[in-house]
Amino acid sequence: MTLKREIDMTQPMIDRYGRINGDNDIIHYDHDYAVARGFRGTLNHGMMTLGYMADMGARTFGADWLYGGELTVKWIDPVCPGDRLTIEADDDAITATVQTGLAATGRIGLAKDK
Amino acid sequence: MTRPSDLKPREDESPGTPPDAYAVGAPLPDMPFSLTPEIVEEYMTAVDADPALYVVDGRQAAPPNVLAVYLLAILYRGYPPTQGIILTDVSWRFRHPIWADETTEVVGSGRVTERFERRGKHFIRWRGDFTRDDGVALASAVNTMYVPAERFEKR
Repeated sequence: MTLKREIDMTQPMIDRYGRINGDNDIIHYDHDYAVARGFRGTLNHGMMTLGYMADMGARTFGADWLYGGELTVKWIDPVCPGDRLTIEADDDAITATVQTGLAATGRIGLAKDK
Repeated sequence: MTRPSDLKPREDESPGTPPDAYAVGAPLPDMPFSLTPEIVEEYMTAVDADPALYVVDGRQAAPPNVLAVYLLAILYRGYPPTQGIILTDVSWRFRHPIWADETTEVVGSGRVTERFERRGKHFIRWRGDFTRDDGVALASAVNTMYVPAERFEKR
């Protein structure tokens, strides 16, 4: 079964995650700095994308997710304001894509020794 | 309430840590903090989490990944960050619910497990563990990050 979710990324969403995350790396907030470093714009926090991906584990495994969920995420490309972020889970494979391609890929599952 | 910003050194508060200063195997200082219902609610809003997904026997739990906002603080308290760190991958193992209706006293701990160079870029891999103050293991994570060296090499 494939689960899918779409999120339209905005700078205020990145700012909101930054407030709870408590960092101030300007790559997340300063457009000109991010562009000067070769990116399309500011970057969302990788762990923010992970938050959307982790939700798929809870959808798939229910309460077991809290007692033995395993989530692996490899970040590939940035997610920037204006991107439509699509999260898809197909069995244990999970992807996060934007219009330019894969932003992250990973796996969800339950620990064998749970 | 302990906000991650109360724990996490800010980038460029200090010169930061060059890649070769991360000591493999040495324990990081324990990091006690209070994870409150307010933090859980703020996190769920920030990642648009569906509360209905995290109910266990009628009791509201937090998304276990709420610990993600505290993870890097464990490392950064031992090794102050520099601007430009980029996370490359992370593996989480969740072990026990964090209840959303009460404050949970948590202790974060960890150690750097590996330091390596790939195509001229410096990476470190480290492990963080979150345990309740009564000893119940909540979650663990293994994270790899790129640590820029250029600014240190110019000195």
